[in-house]
This record gives sequence, structure tokens and C-alpha cells, in this order.
Amino acid sequence: MNKIIVLLVLLIHLTDFETTSDQFITRQGQISFFSYTSVENIEARNNQVLSIIDISKSEIAVSMLMNAFVFKKSLMHEHFNESYIESDLYPKATFEGNIIDFDPLALGIQTKIIKGKLTIRGITKDIEIKTTIENNNGSYLLTGDFEVAVQDFDIKIPPILAPNIAKIISITFRFEYQTYEK
Amino acid sequence: MYFFVVMGFSTSINAQDLLSTLEKEYPDTPQYEIATFKASRLSVGHSIETRKKGILEIQAFNRYWNIPNYRGQSFIVDKLSARIALEYGISDRLTFGAGGSTLDGIFDGFLKYKLLRQRSNGKGSPISMTLFQNGSYRSKRNRPFVDVNRFDEFGDKLAFTSQLLFARKFTPQFSAQITPTYIHRSSSAFAEDPNNQFAIGIGGRYKLGGHASIVSEYYYVINPLKSINSYDAFSLGVNWELSDVMLQFQLTNTRAMVEDAFITQTPNNFNFKDGNFVFGFNAIFVLHLNQKQL
Repeated sequence: MNKIIVLLVLLIHLTDFETTSDQFITRQGQISFFSYTSVENIEARNNQVLSIIDISKSEIAVSMLMNAFVFKKSLMHEHFNESYIESDLYPKATFEGNIIDFDPLALGIQTKIIKGKLTIRGITKDIEIKTTIENNNGSYLLTGDFEVAVQDFDIKIPPILAPNIAKIISITFRFEYQTYEK
Repeated sequence: MYFFVVMGFSTSINAQDLLSTLEKEYPDTPQYEIATFKASRLSVGHSIETRKKGILEIQAFNRYWNIPNYRGQSFIVDKLSARIALEYGISDRLTFGAGGSTLDGIFDGFLKYKLLRQRSNGKGSPISMTLFQNGSYRSKRNRPFVDVNRFDEFGDKLAFTSQLLFARKFTPQFSAQITPTYIHRSSSAFAEDPNNQFAIGIGGRYKLGGHASIVSEYYYVINPLKSINSYDAFSLGVNWELSDVMLQFQLTNTRAMVEDAFITQTPNNFNFKDGNFVFGFNAIFVLHLNQKQL
């Protein structure tokens, strides 16, 4: 009887291993955002975005530190974190969602919709993002772009600076996933 | 029975959601507090903040006050003093600045180095610390301190201020600073006046919304001048920043804008009488001389 239990435990652990190999991670994901207005163009980039996908469940999660965004002007970095995003209070932005009709086995490029919840400054919004998925035999590359409204996340912009910051911010992302080993 | 316990345990690990998996993947890199204060001046005195590398600040500091029982017909205020200065970030930690004041003819230059940075994620230093050293040259005698130092040779007109600035950002809104200060004057006209003076500054800011904050500062002089009455510097003000411009407004009793002059040689107390009340206004314009590549 004891031997059977040991065997079962071993088996469960083996299957455990299999499920974890369904997960793919990136630790150097890239997210950039752009605000284009006639007065000023603001651009920032974060190269330390964490993201994980579970191909068996078609699930995706993204998490990043807001103060890891790099701006051309260092004063913009300070204003972004101090006056707009308030990263002392809300250090992270996160996303979790499902890739609709994702076929993890198909090699090459497929374009899919990700439905999920985006959380910035503690405010969660439902969002749909179109993404291009490239399956390179064991690694996945997700790219795409989407837009968010500044207003949706209760970011306060003083009236005098309203012409400098776009109402709609465009965001691009690029995640290269590798097999996740715990 | 044992089997079910093991199975239940292992499925609970699998059911853990992806976001909490990511939470454990964050590298343990130190996070530092940013913007304990916004400008390089808390209000009238220096703050722990240094400029980032490649930033050039063009500064115009102004002080306005009235002369008591003045019979003239000046517009709004009787007297105005301005200090025009430049500050440049040599590195993220080291700032150089130089300026000249109009009314009192003091020229000054300083170096400021940020030695310690406050860590925000619990570990590391709980405070920020900056070293400050300046030198100033007094090109003319200023009332009422005409005879504090000698004016015979170049060396007589020099003064040096060293400060250790300690500050902590307690909450996103509230930061406080304490500033032990040592001021050395090269010459004294009267033997009773100390050449080496010590002072302690305390100050704080409270943020109102994203762009404005209330600030206050007080410098206590431990061994003031003996030959003439002087008072401790006090300031209550509002700082406001928008894009590349920072504005600082002050209600204060100090007229000079260089450390050795306003800390040890403020001729009046803080109140709202003509001659004592000074309105201050600092305008700072920020230029980014080298922008980061994205």
C-alpha cells in the first residue's frame, strides 16, 4: 500500500511538471506609451515588464512597475510618477485576461483578441486588445497596440496643461516568452 | 485518505493565478524615493534635491519689501532684490550652481552632492543625505550689516557655508528636513563677532494635490552676531510646478538669498510690518541638455 502511495505522489509530481511547462514567461517585456499633441510629444518606455502566459488555459497576465518607465526628459519621469500616476500609492499596473480562440500548437503567426482586466492606479477596466502571436517552436512572441483614455483611470491633469497631454494614450507592447521554470 | 490530501495540495498550487506567480518574479532591485522635495530650494534654503544629469536650471529669485515711513512713490513695493543663477547637474548626484544678487552684490557658487538616497521598499537607508558647500564674495557693504566684516582685501569679503542636509519622505505628501549648518566668515570688523557660526535649519513640505505644496522653513542660529541684532530666518510658502517651470512663493523675513547672508544676517523679525515683511518669488526654468535615448 505504501509503495502505491509513493508511486501516486511521484505521478502527481510528474504531472505537476507537465502543467508548469505550459507556462511561458518574459522578464524583459517592452511597453511603450505615446501622447501626441500639437504642443508636445511625450514618449516613455518600460523594458522590465513581467508577463506570463498559460497556453493550456489560454491565460495571460502582465505586471510592471510604473517607475520603471524611462522618459527622454528626467523631469517628465518625476512628474509622471509624482503628479499623475502617484506611484508611491500605486506602484504597479497589472493586466490579466484570456486569449480568445488561441491555438498554442499552430506554428507561425496568428492574430487574436485578448479580453481582460487592466488595472492602473487601483482602477480596473475591462479591455480588449488585438495581438499578433508568433509561435517559434517553443517560444512565443506577442506584439500589438491599444489605446487607453486618461479619464478612465482618474488621472488628474490641471487645465493649464490639458493641451500638452493627449486624452487618448496609445500603447505598444512586445513580449518574447520563454518556457517558465520555477 | 493521504492520497486525497496530497492531490488537493498539488491542485491548489496549480490553481494559483498567474498574477501572483509574476509577483514573485520581481527582481530584488533597490527602489529609491523620488522627489522628497521638488526644487533645489525647500523655500529659501537648499533642499536635499540635486538636479539630474544634464539638467540646466535658469533661476530668478526675487524678494520684495517696503521701507517703513518711506515718502517716495514707488510702484507696489519700495525695494527689490534679485538673484540670477544657473544650476547644472554634472551627474545625478552632483550639482554645481553659481549666481549673483543685485541689491547686496553677493556672488556665490556651490557644489551639492547627494550621498545617501532613501530606499522606499523598507530596506536600506531610511533617510536621504546631501552635502552642501558654497563660497560667497561680498562686493559691497550692505545695510544694516555694513561693519560685520572688513572690506580691505579680497579675502576679507569671503564667506563659506557647509551644510549637511538630512531629509525623509514620511508619506507621499509629507517630507521633513533638518540642516546642521556651519558658516565661516573670513574677516570680522569687531572682535566680539564670531567668525565661525553654527545654525540648525528645519523645514517641511506638505503636498496639496499633484502640483502644489505648502512649505515652511526656519533657521535657528546658535551663536548669533554680537555687534548688531540679527534674527532667525523664517519662511512660509507655496511651491508650484508645471511642466518645465517651477514657481516658489514665500512670506518671509529674509532679503538675501545666499546662505551666509540670510541665515546669520537677517536684520528683522518675521511679521507683517513695513520693512519686516518680505514677499519672495523664485522662478525656475528647467532645460534638459542631454535627453535620454529610448
